[in-house]
Amino acid sequence: MEPLIRMSNISKAFDSNVALDDVSLELASGSVHALVGENGAGKSTLMKILAGVVQPDGGSIHRNGKAVHMRTPKEALEYGVSTVFQELSLLPNLSIAENMYLGKEPVTKLGRVDCATMESLTANAIAELGLDLDPTTLVSELSIAERQFVEIAHGITADADVVILDEPTAALNAADVETLNRHIRSLRDRGKAIVYISHRMEEIFEICDTVSVLKDGRNVDSCPLSEVTQQSLIAMMVGRDINDLFPNKSVGTGESVLTIKDFQVSPEAEPLELSVHKGEIVGLAGLEGQGQRELLRSLVGQHQPHAGSVTINSTSLPIPVPQTGGIRLLQSMGVGFVPEDRKDEGLFLELPIGFNTSIGLHSSKSELSWAQGHHKTVAETMSSMAVKAPSADSLVSSLSGGNQQKVLLGRYLASEVEILLIEEPTRGVDVGAKAEIYQLLRDFTDSGGAIIVLSRETIELIGLCDRLCVVHDNTIVSEMPAAEATEHKILDAALGTQTSAA
Amino acid sequence: MTAAVKIPSSSKAARETLLSRAAKVPPAYFVFVILLVTLWLTRPQMININVMGTFIRQVAPLGILVLGQLLVMRVRSIDLSGAGVVLIINYVISSGILGDANAGLLVIVALAIGVSLGLVNGLLIGKRRASAVLVTLAVNTILVGVVQFLASGKPPGNVPDAFGDVYNVKYLSLPSPVIFWIVLTGVMAVFLSRFVFGRHVSSVGENPVAAHFSGVPVERTVIIAHTIAGLMAGIAGLVQTSSLGVGSIRFGADLPLEAVAATILGGVVFGRGDGGVWGPFFGVLSFALLFVVMTSFGVPDAGKLIARGLIIMLAATYYGLRTNS
Repeated sequence: MEPLIRMSNISKAFDSNVALDDVSLELASGSVHALVGENGAGKSTLMKILAGVVQPDGGSIHRNGKAVHMRTPKEALEYGVSTVFQELSLLPNLSIAENMYLGKEPVTKLGRVDCATMESLTANAIAELGLDLDPTTLVSELSIAERQFVEIAHGITADADVVILDEPTAALNAADVETLNRHIRSLRDRGKAIVYISHRMEEIFEICDTVSVLKDGRNVDSCPLSEVTQQSLIAMMVGRDINDLFPNKSVGTGESVLTIKDFQVSPEAEPLELSVHKGEIVGLAGLEGQGQRELLRSLVGQHQPHAGSVTINSTSLPIPVPQTGGIRLLQSMGVGFVPEDRKDEGLFLELPIGFNTSIGLHSSKSELSWAQGHHKTVAETMSSMAVKAPSADSLVSSLSGGNQQKVLLGRYLASEVEILLIEEPTRGVDVGAKAEIYQLLRDFTDSGGAIIVLSRETIELIGLCDRLCVVHDNTIVSEMPAAEATEHKILDAALGTQTSAA
Repeated sequence: MTAAVKIPSSSKAARETLLSRAAKVPPAYFVFVILLVTLWLTRPQMININVMGTFIRQVAPLGILVLGQLLVMRVRSIDLSGAGVVLIINYVISSGILGDANAGLLVIVALAIGVSLGLVNGLLIGKRRASAVLVTLAVNTILVGVVQFLASGKPPGNVPDAFGDVYNVKYLSLPSPVIFWIVLTGVMAVFLSRFVFGRHVSSVGENPVAAHFSGVPVERTVIIAHTIAGLMAGIAGLVQTSSLGVGSIRFGADLPLEAVAATILGGVVFGRGDGGVWGPFFGVLSFALLFVVMTSFGVPDAGKLIARGLIIMLAATYYGLRTNS
């Protein structure tokens, strides 16, 4: 039988980066189709093509066997494709109803916007999702979860045959997820095709019936979900057995090198405690935006915490840490901070590898001291990190994401820090480089270093760390050895005990 | 989509590197060569160290000012207060406001004025995050006003003879200001390429946020750059005053604009220092050569002004090209 939607041999490149290479996808009516893959595998690009947001370089889309071209999101909508994107795209200063009918407002005979109709239709739509909200409420007054629901309502009431949900549950708690799942099932039973993009394995196995795996912009496999297990699905996503990806756990930890006490990230937050020992990798897990980033950045003066005390190697840190001099102060105490956004905050893209590596050594020196070449240190760092580049004079912008990340880490390792604070150690890095980076971090702690790491990828945290602290609502709500942690356990803790306003 | 693969297209890549390499050669070198060839073809007798030396001597103050300008532009700032600094130093030296001070003391006072004004610029821009264009233009306006107030509209007086004497010395047929300028440029080149400060400047110029996260003292680097630019303006003021030999209350209004133009022609744009120190050096030489060429063709002052404007416009266009890519 001809599938409802058939995307064949889709290719797309952004400049010289190939995002999609000959990718095909078939969506059947009455099915919930999971689309999985690592960050950067091409899931979002593929869906943006189906939604008419991005134009493919090659390939075709057929709907019920007929070739269609979706040049704009509006055209895609006319062909029955409706999308709920992961970025929140509601306008905060408009009401729920105004957002829902933006650009397609019902009008009265006189040509005025028919507010009454708009509001009653909106009220019905959100009631269907089990929400009790006044359609005239401004979006800015809603909680994140409520906004996400409005977004979903906006997407699925558009009377579409194909509904794309791109990480719909990122901001939802367990009860909300169940409400959403009920709604997805009812859509499925009405014969619609649903594309479900998510990183959470449990959810995928709960709600989906078919799965397609993408890796590095290519198809890996497409099969009924009953034929795979969580383990085999992850192995397909990362392209190798998960046990080969991560290094061994810590061989044993030493004395505490960093201790955080009575720490309040914000005035309302519950005080938290955290200590990190020599030889240990501690991971901060949790849903996005729960304060883990602020906690880490507080330590280097990039966030102003409310209160608390921090001791590093028995020297206490002034709280709040000064904003302009914080990084330098911590550097002098043997602490390196590796920022998440390597392009904007980390690297000097148009300068050579050698410069990027040695700047960490130069920055602590007086302006009037002789600038040593540090050729030896740079060469050693490049070889120990296995940076693939013609020479230390190559510009960082010419390297792949994985090699760029290694250069960034290399800067801090070369400047001989004892403690590393790392945000997203492997963002946008291919799987081979990931394994290498994990091993480098483990080597660092095995030789007496200590690491606090923050990541959006729960699998990465479980595999890499020795101990996990789950952050919810600006405080640590749970702590567990990584060896005992599962995605499910972390998620339960991360969702918190209190349910959100929705 | 960072995990994606590169398109294998060697010919395209080769073309791009060739183009990007050509774009990295500062236009000052092309302009300089074109002007030199023009002169050599039409007035070969002008290519003579004595004739050229006299013309190049006149741009030495501009050249020294440019050394400061390129420094602040490399840390993504700008200094438009040069004219005011030169003016007030000229006034201090020629008006006798310090009584019978000897030349040595006058030099120290002039440099101190330059350094303090640079420091003020730096603190306001680096610490208070004020707009560099507005702050330095305002400082310039204040200085011009102060000089006019002190002088009450009259030209101040004569410059002590010692200044003129030093100015007119020649060594190996090269006038002393030109030698001084070349030496100073060399010192700046070494300072930027061999000292930690140069690394700080490059990092702040390329990406101030990444510089901050690498532990580079971004604020201090901006302040030091402006202070050095002030010192250079002070030195430029001394050389300019020596060349004039008298006090004046209006001159050099175009200096900052020309300094910016020569710096950009030399390949230094906001944050990027592809031209190094010698690119802007040749940018300034181009201005001198342009003057020689036009003089030898008998172009009137109005024509020279127009040509100078066109060169600045060329620099602005090049700047747009470099920053958009």
